[in-house]
Amino acid sequence: MADSYDVIVVGGGHNGLVAAAYLARSRRRVLVLERRPVVGGAVATDDLAPGFHASTGADLCGLLRPEILEDLNLAARGLRFLPLDPEVTAVGDHASLRIWRDVWRTQAELMTKSPRDAEAYPRFTAFLRDFATALDPLFTMTPPNVAAPSLGEQIDIFRRAFAVRRLGKKTMQQMLRMPPMPVRDFLNEWFETELLKASLAVDALIGTFQGPFSPGTAFGLVPHFLPAVHGSGWSFVKGGMGNLASALALAARDAGATIRTGAEVSRITSTDGRVTGVELSNGERIAARVVASNTDPKRTFMHLVDPEELGPEFLVHVRNIEMNGVVAKVNFALERAPPFPAVADGVPAHFRICPSLEYLERAYDDAKYGSASVAPFLDVFVPTIVDPDLAPSGKHILSAVVQYAPYDLRPGTWDTEGDKLGDKVVGLLEEHMPGFEHLVVARQVLTPRDLETRFGLTEGHIYHGEMTLDQSLVLRPVPGWSQYRTPVEGLYLCGSGAHPGGGITGAPGYNAAREILADWIRIPS
Amino acid sequence: MPYQAIVIGGGHNGLVTAAYLARAGKKVLVLERRHVLGGAAVTEEVFPGFKFTVCSYVCSLLRPQVIRDLDLPSHGFEVIPQESTFQPLPDGRYLFRRGNEADAFQAIAKFSRRDAEAYPRFGRLMARLAKFIAPTLTMTPPDVGSLNPADLRKLYALNKQVKTLTEEELYTFARLMTMSAADYLDEWFETDALKAGLCSSGIIGTLLGPRSPGTAYVLMHHYMGEIDGAYRSWGYVRGGMGMVSESIAQAARSFGAEIRVNAEVRRILVKDDRAVGVELATGERIEARVIASGADPKRTFLKFLERSDLPADFVRGIERFKIEGSSGKANFALKEAPSFSALPGNGPQLQGAISIGPTVDYIEKAYDDAKYGNFSHRPFIDMCVPSTLDPTLAPPGKHIMSCFIQYAPYTLRKGTWPERREEFADTVIDTIEEYVPNLRDIILHQQVLSPWDLEQMIGLTGGNIFHGELTPDQLFFLRPTPGWAQYRTPIKGLYLCGSGAHPGGGVMGAPGLNAAREILKDWALLRV
Repeated sequence: MADSYDVIVVGGGHNGLVAAAYLARSRRRVLVLERRPVVGGAVATDDLAPGFHASTGADLCGLLRPEILEDLNLAARGLRFLPLDPEVTAVGDHASLRIWRDVWRTQAELMTKSPRDAEAYPRFTAFLRDFATALDPLFTMTPPNVAAPSLGEQIDIFRRAFAVRRLGKKTMQQMLRMPPMPVRDFLNEWFETELLKASLAVDALIGTFQGPFSPGTAFGLVPHFLPAVHGSGWSFVKGGMGNLASALALAARDAGATIRTGAEVSRITSTDGRVTGVELSNGERIAARVVASNTDPKRTFMHLVDPEELGPEFLVHVRNIEMNGVVAKVNFALERAPPFPAVADGVPAHFRICPSLEYLERAYDDAKYGSASVAPFLDVFVPTIVDPDLAPSGKHILSAVVQYAPYDLRPGTWDTEGDKLGDKVVGLLEEHMPGFEHLVVARQVLTPRDLETRFGLTEGHIYHGEMTLDQSLVLRPVPGWSQYRTPVEGLYLCGSGAHPGGGITGAPGYNAAREILADWIRIPS
Repeated sequence: MPYQAIVIGGGHNGLVTAAYLARAGKKVLVLERRHVLGGAAVTEEVFPGFKFTVCSYVCSLLRPQVIRDLDLPSHGFEVIPQESTFQPLPDGRYLFRRGNEADAFQAIAKFSRRDAEAYPRFGRLMARLAKFIAPTLTMTPPDVGSLNPADLRKLYALNKQVKTLTEEELYTFARLMTMSAADYLDEWFETDALKAGLCSSGIIGTLLGPRSPGTAYVLMHHYMGEIDGAYRSWGYVRGGMGMVSESIAQAARSFGAEIRVNAEVRRILVKDDRAVGVELATGERIEARVIASGADPKRTFLKFLERSDLPADFVRGIERFKIEGSSGKANFALKEAPSFSALPGNGPQLQGAISIGPTVDYIEKAYDDAKYGNFSHRPFIDMCVPSTLDPTLAPPGKHIMSCFIQYAPYTLRKGTWPERREEFADTVIDTIEEYVPNLRDIILHQQVLSPWDLEQMIGLTGGNIFHGELTPDQLFFLRPTPGWAQYRTPIKGLYLCGSGAHPGGGVMGAPGLNAAREILKDWALLRV
């Protein structure tokens, strides 16, 4: 491998693959280096037990940019979606509630709980869809340089403000009022059904170290409505999430990119403030004009780049990025479908254990002081309900996202707490699915620490950094560096640590590729 | 038609509005329900010889413009600087931060030299940012979304003001708006006691904890006092906070305003969508072309008016306005000065703020109790002993101690405030006794006020000391409700002039000042 490359992408997560595919399509010679034996990062399918193919990391897809789907022709490369409908079944102490893709069907279901909520629900979704529509173009936009915006950026900001204004003065004011609110307060203004509020709040809280009473969490509701903007919805990937990674890798390879797995980058090399290439953990050095790092900002800047190149001030900002992971994942292989008395037609493909807003807040309280929640909320997926081929005939996969499980345990360590967490999840599931415990063929507990070692997510943070308002848009990953560039010339960020952040959007990779190409003539060969 | 304007409520803001209107030659009448003026800025001799600043207790934010325009010093207004913060810790240590930099350095360096070095830099950055905010306090917020040229001009002016910040300040400002005080302070300091002491100013009066996003901004607000030149930092008002109101009332009277106490307004009279006067609890009716309400928005719109007088979505906006109080007040008459076991005696530590809140987690846990509807079993307490500097407040040798208690939610999950007030008082005394062991022996009298009492006594809906939570969704152009942040209301001739309007609570006088300006503007345009 003596070739030199135009671009090396460090990390073959979904964003790295997207960046690689776009750069290769623009005829750059691209090399993707992935530490693991498979590409995809946390977009992964692994065998839990022989014949059980589980999405061990991310479970759902909904936010993947339609531009990417189309440009990279992912459907032709084997990507199939299996829509979730109902999107979720919320399970409380003695009740359940289904939220369907169809607003009117949800409304009908709500009628039995609260006619007032049923009346409000379509207005609620309409407001959020409007908001998501206004937000949507921001995903594929490079955040403006707010300190010294160019004329183009100024015009763009004005244009976007005007587009929001066109929705009406009242809607605009509500859109300005809502983001800093606690999601509890916002939902209380609309609804009275506790289970509905709790389940909606979970959408806003997944992956963030905040509770429903925390200001700023209301904004988290908005991205959840993005799939609806594009006329789609939240879906499983047929065959497991790994198939999305495969389709992206195929697109990149077809465009001419080289992908090496089992190749761990130990250093990003540079001289005089310019990137020169990478060094692998086996000592091999590979030169390139551009390095795009798909790893999170802390890993990139605190472990891979020479600190001399970055300066103390920049490093202080990097160190201050909030990214204390709060999510754990417990995956199960099941002997057969578990019983699910809460609903008539058996266990749904997606359900949540989230009885009330206060339940969620109390779960957060534990994490605030450094412990895993005594009673966590669970976001549970049974993909085999819609995709039976993932497991041997009649058998099932169940995976539970567990929150809150703080990376930074005080006191204690995940080495000893992981199994306890697994048992706790089994106990919680047992309450809702009597006999569940005896159906378990295999169990895999991924604590935040495991997410770190397995997927390379620093501090186990699934979004490469909290998605709070103070770490969004022009402030992501650090103030002044939101345009994918870094203090090292030729080094770019293309992962979720950059705008617009985490989730399976592909947008950071898409945007970074665009910025790299825009800079190309200025990049010395 | 004897009066041109009636001001409902003789709180400090109402009095400011009255003074400015009278100064402009209008015939003004102020109507105060209680027998004393001042609302929550009041001094009362609750027990013979002891003058309590019953509610609000320190002063720093009163707008210099108000002090100047109304010439308050000539009416008896005088600030005694309160320059230090004393924080006793449970392990017997203490953190005593004094106003001058060298002393503060020494005090903090005992805990961490790194923090001692960062402390003045932190203060300077906060003060610079506060300076940027200060002009917005006395401006009328633009109606965002309006295409009216005046509003667009205001937005443009704000944008220009933003550009005066350096890049670093701009980013810091953006982050402060959305970060929690605890997270922000973690970036600066390592000493828990120092962080706790600083973050307490981010949560005072709000139902938020130090880890709640947005509290970093409130923390910065407290540096506003530093920059007004004449009044360094926080201060006591000689004669108690009532003297703020008293001096403004004097100024208003000197301009010809008339002030009536024991005059409770029951209703605002509306005819053809116009306010035409008020009706008192006695049935007396008084007419005027302009009514300025110093009462909070809920009281003004949901009590003094009929819902049918107002547009439905405006009523909805007012109904969902968050105004749940979260703090209480305890005032003690003491036989002698309190002596802290961490630093005994009647020394300079008693002359400034005394803060019981040793760690960030302590304050956060106090908040946890409150968010589920209980008063904190170990509250954060901000105390002062103003009689150490102002002997007129207590008989010789004796003292008054004023304790602000956080958290005490207005709505209790168990029981009612009248039932649980004693228990609350015991909690407060127990908490302080951990630091002042003989407190119970030196208490002569005590007055404990829950949010419920504040509502009954002062007329603060929900007992909220700021007339509504100071959270970003209720600030600036959103206060009290979107589209109605310019002191006007859907009723012509009716204005808001209290803390429920921009820029909100605290003894600033800014809502009163801004409302008076808008009223006079409408008058000049013959809209009144």
